[in-house]
Amino acid sequence: MSNNMRGLTMFIADIRNCRVRESEEKRINKEMANIRAKFKEGNLNGYQKKKYVCKLLYMYILGWDIDFGHMEAVNLISSNKYSEKQIGYLAVTLLMHENSDLTRLVVNSIRKDLDEYNEIYNCLALHAIANIGGREMAESLNGDVHRLLISPASKSFVKKKAALTLLRLYRKHPDVIPAVDWSERLIALLDEPDLGVVLCVTSLIMALAQDNLEAYLGCYAKVVERLSKIVVKKEYAADYVYYKVPIPWLQVKFLRLLQYYPPLDDTTIRHELHNVLQTIMQNSQDTPKNVQHNNAQNAVLFEAINLAIHLDTESSIVNQAAVLLGRFITSKETNVRYLGLETMAHLAACVDSLEPIKKHQDTILLSLRDKDISVRRRGLDLLFSMCDVSNAKVIVTELLRYLSIADYGLREEMVLKIAILTERFATEYQWYVDIILQLISTAGDHVGNEVWYRVVQIVTNNEELQEYASRTVLKHLRSPTCHENLVKIGGYILGEFGHLVANIPGGSPIEQFHAIYSKFGLCSTQTKAMLMTTFLKFVNLFPEIKGEIVSVFHNYRHVLDAELQQRSTEYLAISTMPNDDILQTVCEEMPPFPERESALLLRLQQQHAATEDKRTWHIGGKEANKEREAVRLQLSANRSNSTDSKSTPNNESSTDLLTLESLTIGASTVASQTNSAHIPAGTVTPGSEKWLGKLLYTSEGVLYEDNQINVGLKSEYHGHVGRLALYFNNKTNTNITSFTTVIEQVPHLSITTPQSAATTIAVQAQIQQLFHIECNKPFTTMPIVRISFISGSLHNVALRLPISLTKFMEPIELGGPEFFARWKQIGGSPREIQRIFQALVPIKLADVGTMLSGFRFGLLESVDPNPNNFVGSAVLHTKSAGMTGCLMRLEPNLDAQAYRLTVRSTNENVSEQICNLLEPRLANDVV
Amino acid sequence: MIHHRSLNEIVIFYTPIRYASLFFVVGISADDNELITLEIIHRYVEVLDRYFGNVCELDLIFNFQKAYFILDELIIAGEMQESSKKSILRVVSAQDQLEDNEITEKGWPENNRIGLRG
Repeated sequence: MSNNMRGLTMFIADIRNCRVRESEEKRINKEMANIRAKFKEGNLNGYQKKKYVCKLLYMYILGWDIDFGHMEAVNLISSNKYSEKQIGYLAVTLLMHENSDLTRLVVNSIRKDLDEYNEIYNCLALHAIANIGGREMAESLNGDVHRLLISPASKSFVKKKAALTLLRLYRKHPDVIPAVDWSERLIALLDEPDLGVVLCVTSLIMALAQDNLEAYLGCYAKVVERLSKIVVKKEYAADYVYYKVPIPWLQVKFLRLLQYYPPLDDTTIRHELHNVLQTIMQNSQDTPKNVQHNNAQNAVLFEAINLAIHLDTESSIVNQAAVLLGRFITSKETNVRYLGLETMAHLAACVDSLEPIKKHQDTILLSLRDKDISVRRRGLDLLFSMCDVSNAKVIVTELLRYLSIADYGLREEMVLKIAILTERFATEYQWYVDIILQLISTAGDHVGNEVWYRVVQIVTNNEELQEYASRTVLKHLRSPTCHENLVKIGGYILGEFGHLVANIPGGSPIEQFHAIYSKFGLCSTQTKAMLMTTFLKFVNLFPEIKGEIVSVFHNYRHVLDAELQQRSTEYLAISTMPNDDILQTVCEEMPPFPERESALLLRLQQQHAATEDKRTWHIGGKEANKEREAVRLQLSANRSNSTDSKSTPNNESSTDLLTLESLTIGASTVASQTNSAHIPAGTVTPGSEKWLGKLLYTSEGVLYEDNQINVGLKSEYHGHVGRLALYFNNKTNTNITSFTTVIEQVPHLSITTPQSAATTIAVQAQIQQLFHIECNKPFTTMPIVRISFISGSLHNVALRLPISLTKFMEPIELGGPEFFARWKQIGGSPREIQRIFQALVPIKLADVGTMLSGFRFGLLESVDPNPNNFVGSAVLHTKSAGMTGCLMRLEPNLDAQAYRLTVRSTNENVSEQICNLLEPRLANDVV
Repeated sequence: MIHHRSLNEIVIFYTPIRYASLFFVVGISADDNELITLEIIHRYVEVLDRYFGNVCELDLIFNFQKAYFILDELIIAGEMQESSKKSILRVVSAQDQLEDNEITEKGWPENNRIGLRG
């Protein structure tokens, strides 16, 4: 440890010796004057500048304003002594904020230090950017920071800082960071051996992936794999074990990151993830004595439970979790009670059956009386989420009772929630009216307008409610203390429905009028205006009390308030007209309100909006979480749309387009063999489809080749399942690292990877990746595999896999009569598709036969009288759509070098798709 | 304790440990993991302890710049940068080494390691 500024130490000791504020101020002023003079003199050496700047900083952190010394700090940054530079940077980050004009002065010094060969200078510069991080810095330096992050020459401790610096810049100025373009490169960094680097990169990816789910999809498999290494296989450096828990910070981040994505279909990944979660649950059965161990373990556990709920609420892990949560909400530790309730609210918001949670209802109700307000809030959230028809009465009654002693800060939200629950789960009108009026009278000022508007809407729209509501409001109006909100409701309801109770004792027109009028004087102007309208309605409903009401209107014609004056004058005029036509028209019964979204829910959602994290759930029942579902659907729809649009037109034209595309792109970037650009979803590397055609009717061969890699393929299919292996060969003289493959799934095919491939390919070596394929229904789009790896720089390759519909056909042998019987049975259009097309290469009959067999047709000899014609039959196997018979007839015309292809199958889409696959191959390929 | 600011509430997370005369306040967003944040504090204290030898308030006051430098090795952009004590201390002592070298090179006033411990 070094502290080598004697002057600074003395100064700090002096300040500490000041007993009263005045003497501190005196000492500070003296020092400031001294430093100002020294700075003015100039001629200071580096050490002196450093010492004075340090003194200024100390004053600054004590809370004194510092209005000079900034330039000296900036000068220190460009010193060539580390200790001076370091203080310069500290001063700049403390004294400047992101919008200071002075930051402009330091951008260049920072850039210089980023370029510096000495990593320790790089680090200082990165700290400064991360701590100040204004727009100007973000714009001019993000490229340099990114370079430090991805350069293979960077040391681990630089990479860590660079990753988090980018995170800060992205949070402040997302538009400056090309998040999508960087995705593959950043995902590749998850393979770093240093866990510290992985931790920082994960923080960065979490922020970027939330806004770019699609582009960062590739991180999912990698994250699961790394988690499994840490949790299940226990592979980590001893340094990273924190009180027996391996790098809990990283585990927490990984588990959270996976919650941003909808659960993947890949069974291998699911299985691996299940193992991880299961292991975490098992490790958490005991409560460790050590506080740190306990906190770290629980931090991971709660995140794991949240992920398990997100993945599948019916899983065995969630069942185990529910039991654990039941234990947590009675824990002695406040933190654990809090998190237990919060996580249970998450569970309640997602599960189909609330039963496991209802078991704990009494405990949860008790949590409303917890000594900690945050725990009480979580209890409230949970009660709100777990409420249904069966327990609504108990919960609402308890909440109402609690409302009168609840913290003021909590009341408005409570009122909203009680009102929503009452409305949502009421089974008896009487109950609804009683509770809601009791709520309004208990909560008083905490009742927002939405609540009583909603009551009026509901009473107006439900005839059965109206009489009981009128009677009850009348009772409330008579009580000596009646909140103004109740007066408003009372006024409105009696004005509309008062006649329904006019015959009950105590409900006569004049009694209704007096009940309201007795509150009139104490009400706000706005309420008075409303009540005026009620009185006008009374004139219409009860002509017998017109006299009393007219005299009220009379009196209010001269009040100062313009609104009241106008109403009383107009209402007086209407009531005293010779006939009642206008009165009756004006006071006609209100029509029912149109059904609309409850204003209460809107209000509650507004209260919870604006969190920056794209949370995977919200407080509230399953319904409230539908939105999440919608987003997820949108994501997958985008994915399938983009792939569909590429290959729905028949294959010939799409290959033309692709070749065109590859030509233009190839021309503009001649040396584009290094594919480092991001390839958008649903598209493939230009020019890569030239190998694809042949593989549609052969089971092995080359799929792709460039200067770096060669991709070979082998496949076999039986019925609706298949296996496909890709072989990646490293053609370069360096190791290929961070090798990743991701499959872009297509509708009706499920493709899983039983094992993740290795991430490194040694020089001239080969690795293998196996895929299991299942065909659920007939499909049109062939899936794409996206490959990224680092060989010198980052390379991206996207290849369409030759997994076509005909691969799932099995050839069958039919006799002539049988064939024709079926041919007739299927019949012509639309189940027959016929194409006539020119052969662009010379027709060789033997090759055509080979190709058709390769497309998995059983060729039938001597069925067609013309020996040149081919007749074939096959059965297409799918998992959920069963089998489809396919018949084919191909008539080559050797003279005209043309074909007529006819396909009949029991499914018109299948016929179409078979033609789409066969036609371009027959026309173009030389076998 | 951790002050947990979501929209309109502050949640206090308790730590049963008292760090001598030191108090820590951390602001986190609504969806950060609270328990793991407590452990960030704990790790910071552990590193300070190792560096200063049973850290106390005075160490941080008289070496406030060092407290900042160490924090920079632990947290950037509000996120945990490095959780390995060994890694953090290695970088910090490399910084000290550089500083010491500069001092002996130029012969600045004697290296003043005064023992101001409370």
